[in-house]
Amino acid sequence: MAYLTVEHLVKRYGDATVIDSLDLSVNAQETMAIMGASGCGKTTLLLTILGAIKADQGQITINDRIVNDLPIEEREIGYVPQDYGLFPHFTVSENIGFGLRVRTYPTSEKQRVIDALLETVDLKGMGGKKPRELSGGQKQRVALARALAIKPSLLLLDEPLSSIDEATKEHVRKALKDTLTRTKVTTICVVHDPEDAFILGDRIAVMHSGRIIQCDTPDHLLEAPNDSIVRKLVASMYVLRRDTSVQSTR
Amino acid sequence: MHRDKTQLIIWSLSFFFIAYMLVSLFYLYVAVGESINQVSAALFNSQVLGALTISVASAFLVGGLAVAIGVPVAYFMAFNEFRGKETLEMLLIDMPQTFPPVTEGLVYLLMLGRFRLAYTFAAVIIAKFYVSAPFTLSFLTRRFRELKGNGYDVIARSLGARTRHVLNWIMIPLSARDVVGGFSLTWARAMGELAATLVFAGAIPWQTEIIPTLVFLTSRNAPAIAMAASVIAETLSLVALFSFRLIGRGRKWLT
Repeated sequence: MAYLTVEHLVKRYGDATVIDSLDLSVNAQETMAIMGASGCGKTTLLLTILGAIKADQGQITINDRIVNDLPIEEREIGYVPQDYGLFPHFTVSENIGFGLRVRTYPTSEKQRVIDALLETVDLKGMGGKKPRELSGGQKQRVALARALAIKPSLLLLDEPLSSIDEATKEHVRKALKDTLTRTKVTTICVVHDPEDAFILGDRIAVMHSGRIIQCDTPDHLLEAPNDSIVRKLVASMYVLRRDTSVQSTR
Repeated sequence: MHRDKTQLIIWSLSFFFIAYMLVSLFYLYVAVGESINQVSAALFNSQVLGALTISVASAFLVGGLAVAIGVPVAYFMAFNEFRGKETLEMLLIDMPQTFPPVTEGLVYLLMLGRFRLAYTFAAVIIAKFYVSAPFTLSFLTRRFRELKGNGYDVIARSLGARTRHVLNWIMIPLSARDVVGGFSLTWARAMGELAATLVFAGAIPWQTEIIPTLVFLTSRNAPAIAMAASVIAETLSLVALFSFRLIGRGRKWLT
C-alpha cells in the first residue's frame, strides 16, 4: 500500500494552473524521482507536500494521515532545498542538530546522533566547520544529515545535484544514492537531469504542465514511454545505457 | 587635450556636494574654536548637562524600544501577505520620516494631553519614537524579507521549529548587523529630534529639555550655551555612529 498519496492536487497562481489535478503515490522506503522540464511544477509539488505552499484542491496523505491542514513543523518531513539552505551562522554540527535542539534532546544524546550522522554522510571530523568552508557536495551532505536527524516520515530533495560541478557530480550522486539506500527513508527527489532520475529513483514520475504523465521504473520507462514528451526526456538515457552496455561487453 | 565634459560635471557636482556636507558638519568646531573660552565655561552649565542627560537617555530608550517592538512588527510585515500591505508599510516607515514633526507633536498634545502625559519624560519618548523608530523597522523588514527569500524559515519549520525558534535562532542572529544599523540611525534621529518633542514635551530642565530644544531656545540670547550643547551633541553623535558601525562590522560571519 502507498505510504504517500497525492490525490487530485491543484495549485493555481492567478490564472496559471501550476499543479493540475495531479495524482501520485509513493511506496514506503521507495525513492521517487520526479523529472520534468523547468517550470513544469516540480518544485511547487514538493513545497505543497512540505506544507510551505497551500494547495487549492486535493488531498495529501502520509502514512494514512491527511496532512493538508497540518503546519510544516508538524508534518515531520525532511527537506533539502536546491541551495541546501544551511544556516550560515551555525557550524556543521549545529546545523545537523537544529531539529534535535528544537526537540530539546539532552546534549549527550544530541551529540551521539550528530556524530552518527556525520559518519553516515562521510563528514567525520568536520562538525566544527562553518558552511562557507564547505564544498558544494559537502554542503549537500550536511543538509541531508540535518533533514535525516529528525527521523523524518518523508524526505524531500529539491534538485540535490544542481549545484554540484560536473567533475564531482558522479561521486556525490553515488554517495547520495548510498545514503538513501542505507537509511531507507521514503524519498521524493526532484531532478532536472534524466541521468540523476535514472540513478537515484526506484521509480520515476515524469511531470509535464502540472501533471504526472508517466510513473514507472527506469527500465519500463525506457522500454515503453507512453508519450512523445517522455520519449524525448528519456532519449539521452538510451544513448547512456547503450554506451554502458557496450563498455560492459568489452 | 580631449576633455570629457560629463565627467567634469560629475566631478564638480560631487566636489560641491561633499564640501557642502562636510562644511555643514564641521563648521561648528571652527565657530567653537573662535569663542573657546565662553563655550568651555558653558560646557559644565547645569542646563547643558541636564539637556545632555535627557537627550542621551531618551535616545537610548527610544533605540531599545524600536528594536524590541521593531523585531515582531518587521516579522509580521515580512511574513504576512494581506491587502493594503504596501500602503500600511508606507504609513509606518515612510510617512513618519516625511510628516512634519511639529504637527506630530501637536497630534500627541491633543490626543494624549488629557492623560497628563504632556510635558513629561514619557512625552519625550513618545514624540521621539514616532519619528525615529521607522529606521529600525525599515532595516529589519528588509532583512527579514531577504531571509524569507532564502527560505530559512521554511527549512527551520520543516525541522520542527516554532515561530520563537525561527525568530530567536535564525532571524535575529542573521539580522544582527541590521539591528545595530537600525538602532544607530534611530538613536541618531532621536538625538536630533526637536519639533515634536518641543510641542508635546516642552523644555523643562532636567525633565524634558533636550539638546535640540536647548539650542533652539538659547541660540539668540546665550549663544555660548547653544554652541556648547551643540558641540557635545555633535561629537557624541559622531562617536556613537562610528562605534555602531564598528560593532556592525565586527560581526564578520553575518555576510
